[in-house]
Amino acid sequence: MAETPLFSQLASVNPALSARLQESTAFLAAPAATRLSEEQRALILGIARRLVESVAGLLGGAVDSLALWDDWAAQGLPGAAQLSGLCFARAEEHRWRGQPVQDVGEAPPPRVIAADAAIDVPVAADDPLSAIDRAYLALQIADRRRFDALGHPRIAMEDMDLDLLRALLLDIAAWALVQAGKDSAEAARLGEAVRGALAQHRPERGIDRAAADYHAALAGVGAGALADGAAAAIARHDWPSFIALAAATHKYRYDAMALALITAEPAQLAPMLAPLLRDQAALVPLEGSLAMLPGRAVASAAPDDYTAALQARAALFGEAEGAA
Amino acid sequence: MMAERVIRGRIDRGGILVSGDAPLLRLQQRAGGGEGRPLALPNLARLVALAQRLQREISRPLIAADDHSDIHALVRILPDAEGATLEISDWRTRPVMQSQIPPVTEVAAVSPRAWMWESDVQLRLIALTAGAEADAVPAEWEGRSLSELFELQPDADGHFAVLRALARQARFAGQLVRTDDGKGGRMAMTLAAEPLFDATGGFTGFRGTVLPDDAPPPAPAPAALTDPAFGSLPLSDPAFGRRIDGALRGPLARIIATAETISGQFDGPIRADYARYAGDIAHAGRHLLGLVDDLADLQNIERPGFKAARDEIDLGDLARRAVGLLGMKAEEKGIRIDAPPLDDKMPATGEFRRVLQVLLNLLGNAIRYSPEDSMIWIRLDRDGDRATVTVADQGQGIDAAQQAVVFEKFERLGRTDSGGSGLGLYIARRLARAMDGDLTVDSAPGQGARFTLSLPARDA
Repeated sequence: MAETPLFSQLASVNPALSARLQESTAFLAAPAATRLSEEQRALILGIARRLVESVAGLLGGAVDSLALWDDWAAQGLPGAAQLSGLCFARAEEHRWRGQPVQDVGEAPPPRVIAADAAIDVPVAADDPLSAIDRAYLALQIADRRRFDALGHPRIAMEDMDLDLLRALLLDIAAWALVQAGKDSAEAARLGEAVRGALAQHRPERGIDRAAADYHAALAGVGAGALADGAAAAIARHDWPSFIALAAATHKYRYDAMALALITAEPAQLAPMLAPLLRDQAALVPLEGSLAMLPGRAVASAAPDDYTAALQARAALFGEAEGAA
Repeated sequence: MMAERVIRGRIDRGGILVSGDAPLLRLQQRAGGGEGRPLALPNLARLVALAQRLQREISRPLIAADDHSDIHALVRILPDAEGATLEISDWRTRPVMQSQIPPVTEVAAVSPRAWMWESDVQLRLIALTAGAEADAVPAEWEGRSLSELFELQPDADGHFAVLRALARQARFAGQLVRTDDGKGGRMAMTLAAEPLFDATGGFTGFRGTVLPDDAPPPAPAPAALTDPAFGSLPLSDPAFGRRIDGALRGPLARIIATAETISGQFDGPIRADYARYAGDIAHAGRHLLGLVDDLADLQNIERPGFKAARDEIDLGDLARRAVGLLGMKAEEKGIRIDAPPLDDKMPATGEFRRVLQVLLNLLGNAIRYSPEDSMIWIRLDRDGDRATVTVADQGQGIDAAQQAVVFEKFERLGRTDSGGSGLGLYIARRLARAMDGDLTVDSAPGQGARFTLSLPARDA
């Protein structure tokens, strides 16, 4: 059926209508699929806003990020398709990690120390780190860069794909240039700022490099250490470490691995993590934690049933045609 | 390593727990039931009834509570002709009294001038970020020891709060430190933090704040700490206020989020009146959260030495931003807002975000108390060395007696709805005066209200 030209015309001048029509199209394409909850929407939007602010900040503070976000929030984000996956994956990981820890009941009671007990001041320099500890520390630092000062999730600049960062910088610079009245001196300054920001990009400080280094440090000791490290991370609900080890094992990006875990059916977890874990019993806390997370985009049994139904129908029609 | 253990139980067709493993029976007894009596755990009983009605196996997360712990588990219910079999796995117990680890947001709400930090077990820094109004954090902090970056100062008894807290794995506050101020000198700061634990109960480090000690010295203690508005609550004590603020914000946010989830029926349809009740809970929660925000603001602006920044602002721009933020709320009531046109500028001096806060309060009130399908005007003006912005509505108006008290603390002019805390206009006027301006009202019953914010004018 051809799309009504009038609808297109109306939508072309009305961003709200355009958004509603796109939403309707997505809904009709998968009416039975669950939709984003308000919490998920808020997280995704917040992450996108902080990302835009951070990238705008790389251009030397001349960009009014509040006005920029107002404009983009009204008109739509350029490159929304590229940003949505990144923001969704970060939001889902944050929801997962934000769940209350369920078994701290085993926490020891507060320690009692004598009032006059001597307590040493820990000084890092006195205690050289092992390769594993150093890699774990770097992983924790890279992970905490993925939060702002208030503990809200964000995309660390170090974790940005260079092409995506370039595209976002150019979009923001273009916006700023329009605001400045297409002044040629401003254009030159913005161009220089974009080049400078890209030159400053430090992916070696990002979570993917930290994950690979931590994996390599554990693997250097032996496969057993890697499996034990992963199992211990699951038992501690130390999800960033576990995601990092799983990602490095599969050579995935960290965010892709997080999304793969969060959207996996329970039955998919064991085969997915078989290269990393020796003991499937270690998976129980992971399955439990994921099961507690509401609104996950898990592939239910429906698509398989549908595939089976399509195959059955094809077989039926095939037989009927054959009989004819 | 945790081995999976399945706890089993058997329910008959009448919902009676006919048998069960010891943990399930203990839970049933603590909930007021027993073996051979109806299942006393409402969540579980509902799931059993659902499985029996559908005659389908159901697997769900289960949260149950007895008198001293919360129990989280996964339950599988297998219905049959005679009743149902329960299989409960991943049974985890959490003591109710276990202190909640505050999210960073709650700690950071203490002061935007704070640095937020997190360390590992060895007090090596894994995070250090500056609050919105804080100085930049020192360079090269990553992985350094807390005691290396901050020179710890002993208290009057020669003790170090942070080290005692490390030994006890407990919270601490008031640890005095000195560090580089980034200008070649040293500055005094105060550390506070909460301990962090992982799911196995292992201590993983601290998360907390560092505040500069250059805040004005506390004013001499008043004769009585009681505040006429707050009664005997020690809200005049900033530490108490901060604790209340931190303690309330998280739980309230969770109540609102959960109530909205129920109200929005995101996890499936429920009875309409129940959804409405949940909507009421969310509304009341938002009101309480607004009150917490107002109280935090109140405490901030009432402390001695509070000063607002003197930014170069444009009242026209700020008015349009306020309209942008509240336009949707107005639309819901069919209210039209006549905002200053884009080229209408009114340069003034004042703190950007505080002026926006005042305008949001005035416009929010105008929307709240205006009749449906009415009109709100925002006008800019210049009167000598004063720049003004006026918000006028078509509400029921305020008589002269009410105008005399409308800027008082907790004054809601006899209104009892849950729309506001009665602090907004009081805070707005305090802010206006802190910026060398004022906030006035001009109104008559039946003729709407006109609130005017005036600030020092600036020549563009």
